[in-house]
Amino acid sequence: MSSRTNAVPLYAADLAKRYGPVQAVSNVTLELAAGSALALLGPNGAGKSTTLSILMGLAMPDSGKARIFGYPAGSAEARQLTGATPQATDFPGQLTPRELLFYTAACYGKQPQVAQLIGQFGLERLIDRRVAGFSGGERRRVALALAFVGTPRLVFLDEPTTGLDTHGQNAFRAAAQEYVDQGGALVLTSHHWDEIEAICDHITLIDKGETVLTAHIEEIRRRANVKQLNFNLPLGITPPDWMRATHDGHRWHLQAADADSVVRQMVIDDLPFHDLSVEPLPLDALIGRIRQEETIQ
Amino acid sequence: MTSHWRAECRLSLTILLRQPGFWVPSVLFPAMLYAFFGAQGGDGHWAANAMASFSIYAVLGVGFYQFGVSLAQDRESEFATWQRSLPGHQANRWLARIISSLVFVSLAVCLVIMAAHLLTEIALAVASWARLGLACLLVTIPATVMGVALGSVSSARAAVPLANLIFLPLAYLGGLWIPPIALPDPIAAISEWTPTRAMGELAWAAIQGTAWQPRYIGLLLGWMVISSAVIVVSHWGKSRR
Repeated sequence: MSSRTNAVPLYAADLAKRYGPVQAVSNVTLELAAGSALALLGPNGAGKSTTLSILMGLAMPDSGKARIFGYPAGSAEARQLTGATPQATDFPGQLTPRELLFYTAACYGKQPQVAQLIGQFGLERLIDRRVAGFSGGERRRVALALAFVGTPRLVFLDEPTTGLDTHGQNAFRAAAQEYVDQGGALVLTSHHWDEIEAICDHITLIDKGETVLTAHIEEIRRRANVKQLNFNLPLGITPPDWMRATHDGHRWHLQAADADSVVRQMVIDDLPFHDLSVEPLPLDALIGRIRQEETIQ
Repeated sequence: MTSHWRAECRLSLTILLRQPGFWVPSVLFPAMLYAFFGAQGGDGHWAANAMASFSIYAVLGVGFYQFGVSLAQDRESEFATWQRSLPGHQANRWLARIISSLVFVSLAVCLVIMAAHLLTEIALAVASWARLGLACLLVTIPATVMGVALGSVSSARAAVPLANLIFLPLAYLGGLWIPPIALPDPIAAISEWTPTRAMGELAWAAIQGTAWQPRYIGLLLGWMVISSAVIVVSHWGKSRR
């Protein structure tokens, strides 16, 4: 086992894992630097959870390699440097969050920063109550605190905000951003695009067990610098053909790289539009566009 | 800062102690069975032997249920899976399981001994008490390994009925409920090969002040080898899945 002082927090190449007849992961490659957050994206069953299991050392890959700060995933050194949320549903109900935090910190050989975690994850009312009576969202808050209690340098968060209320989601975002700003590395799976945009700077898209796209979010925005225009027209009036606008039953929409020229032309054409809005294309639509372009190429 | 193994012990003991519905009956059960069936036989040797039998029964029960059943349930728990991703040596988790088991084993055995003192006239030399205690401790090891083997192959739902199905006949066959001498001939022949018989023999020899026979120690080792093989094979199968 070689200890590399400058090793990246996470490096995984050509991971493959089969469960019986199911090839869960066939070719996944990931990399993550310190002070950076990666969103692991993909449809249900794409292989995200299997990939996370391998990276957390809970499953052995059939082939490929996974390194945490240069150490093999699942090794004692790797586990000391990583944190993860448990699936929040089945904490032993007899315990309180405070007890769980002390236990988990002791596994890392550390003293928990209980007061700080209470504030970050909104555990004030919960900290000394037994978990048995907690709602799903309350358990999720505890699970998030447990991922960070050992002050790890790399954190895996598998759909961290499922069941959280808006306040909880905002608190989590703030905590995650602060962690990354202070040099932590973070891997996130999520179905909330706004959450991904708020926290992550990179995405890796997995589909059918393979990495199909790895990109910087800013680069995606640059590459597909497309805006969405939405507007209304009086009944009976349709936009001219050059606009190629579509109607969704309520409003007219079109996507354009140069939104300014489109709007100018609309004014020149004297189109009686109202309630015009120009928005950046949502991240999921951008990623869809890039994938489409790549398939065509 | 709490050391890792102490944190593991605290966790498993806290979880267990806060479920009195689980541990009170488990700890009381051997003493209760002893009071109903073991303590009826009168005084002297017979009473002491019965007390030793039910002490072993208590140890075996805790080993089987505490380990077999909880292990099978843990395997299906997301929390236990997450625990494996935490730092700290896995051996500390096993140590914690063994220590918390020993706490409950000791309680259960003490209750059997208390029942024996209340219900019969038992007078044993200090050496006999010491050897009985040692026998109970030694028996914890094969009982634990057998429990782990059961937990490795059974699902959470199947673990309790399966433990009953194996444990109760073994207690009977081994002569823990009825002395081996009172078992019908065909049963007595099987009895010679059961792990429970070997465990019982260690405890009875302690009470009677006779030497431990290598045959029974060998038999226990044999059962440990078989159980270990079951554990290894099931783990090998799982890691390939």
